[in-house]
Amino acid sequence: MSTNFSPYVDASLALHALTLPDDARRAVLEHFERNAAIAAAFLDLPLAPDDEPAPVFRPE
Amino acid sequence: MESAAEIAAAVCAGRVRAREVAQRALDRIARADASINAFTRVTRERALAEADAVDAALAAGRPVGPLAGVPYAVKNLFDVAGEVTLAGARVTRDDPPAAADAALVERMRAAGAVLVGALNMDEFAYGFTTENSHAGATRNPHDLSRVAGGSSGGSAAAVAARMVPLSLGTDTNGSIRVPSSLCGVFGIKPTYGRLSRRGSYPFVTSLDHVGPFATTVADLAACYDALQGPDPRDPACAQRPLEPTLGALERGAGGLRVAVLGGWFDENAGPLAREAVQAAARALSATRRVELSLAEPGRAAAFVITGSEGGALHLPRLRTRYADYEPLSRDRFVAGALTPAAWYVKAQRVREAYRREAARLFEDFDILISAATPVEAQPVGTEWIDVGGRRMPARASMGVLTQPISCIGLPVVAAPIPLPGRLPIAVQLIAAPWHEHLALRAAAELERQAVAASPRPEPAKVVQ
Repeated sequence: MSTNFSPYVDASLALHALTLPDDARRAVLEHFERNAAIAAAFLDLPLAPDDEPAPVFRPE
Repeated sequence: MESAAEIAAAVCAGRVRAREVAQRALDRIARADASINAFTRVTRERALAEADAVDAALAAGRPVGPLAGVPYAVKNLFDVAGEVTLAGARVTRDDPPAAADAALVERMRAAGAVLVGALNMDEFAYGFTTENSHAGATRNPHDLSRVAGGSSGGSAAAVAARMVPLSLGTDTNGSIRVPSSLCGVFGIKPTYGRLSRRGSYPFVTSLDHVGPFATTVADLAACYDALQGPDPRDPACAQRPLEPTLGALERGAGGLRVAVLGGWFDENAGPLAREAVQAAARALSATRRVELSLAEPGRAAAFVITGSEGGALHLPRLRTRYADYEPLSRDRFVAGALTPAAWYVKAQRVREAYRREAARLFEDFDILISAATPVEAQPVGTEWIDVGGRRMPARASMGVLTQPISCIGLPVVAAPIPLPGRLPIAVQLIAAPWHEHLALRAAAELERQAVAASPRPEPAKVVQ
């Protein structure tokens, strides 16, 4: 099942106060669709609860 | 241009003055860079002043560093005091000049090296080709119709064309290793957190690395050693003490357990890349083929983290100056800024699972080999490449083999493997975290066997 990302991209552009020309908006949508296709390689990957991100922030 | 080691030895022995070396490098840049377009700024006055300081120190009997009088240049995202840090962009041109040198520029100066200029790159390091719409494309010294690779394309091309023996670049997803491969020079992407990033324009703080390029393994190791050391002012720096590597090179690959990475790394390698891997594997007696099952999810995680962090970094300026951003990457930055938080967080968690898988592999092996790029340098303007019968977008896919490795911060030496009559291509010699010395030893062994080398461009291609 393919997802229609267009409503998300439009809403997210508005949320981030990004006003773009139509051709740029179309290009952004294409890149977002490509990002989503690549992200599919890990979005359903099973992980353990303790597979934590490794932060580098080290408060002194 | 001689090697850095030869220059430093000659300067220290009084056979040549550092000022003469600097002047020769400046003359060569003036001649050769018209066809390469590696330099965006030549720091002539600073170069001569730093060279004079080396000569004065020697005359006074004061100690000079291991890179005394060696000319070098830096990707133009490193701060150079008094210069505007462009990071390949137009929108930075009106920024104030850097108040101080970047940490690595400070260290090069302390080692006696002489800064001759700043180098072209993909805007804000988001690209693998150095087709910079503002400064023009950097050309591959081995074929001027082709790209140099990126994003540190100027850094690799300047060394490949023998304009400087050393340069500095950055690598978030392959930006040292890809141009090393396409230009045929040695490069090292150290362990994440090994070298200080202070004073380098960030791209993706979770993944950004810094490192040097050279034409020999000894020069690469000497430069890397000069750059090491803790820096409390870089929060990502692991604050490890200097762990010198140069002295270990003579040990070669004796005792190293070497394997070839299959799976993702084989499927995404073209014919020339596979030939290079086979040559390196034979020379290092690597008979085993192993897989990292999480390489593809890891590569995807790095891709998503890159878009998200890079996009968020540039969001404020993209709102007001979208039209001034690089046309080849601005829409990718915007799309990345829209990444859902759940994707980003999952991507960071995938890194941990993937890191553990790689750690298990390093219990049995010291070095893993893969190609550095799927194919050799492509003509400027190429939109698509064919790898294994699949059509892939050229600019994003050049990093398909490097991105899964930097995702988990492993140290890598990119070693160029010249094959007769072909354009350069490199292999990645990948070691466990904090084991850069092993990757350098493997590279030194390949160099000793004349399997790895940085080929000189044909004189007809570049003004000598």
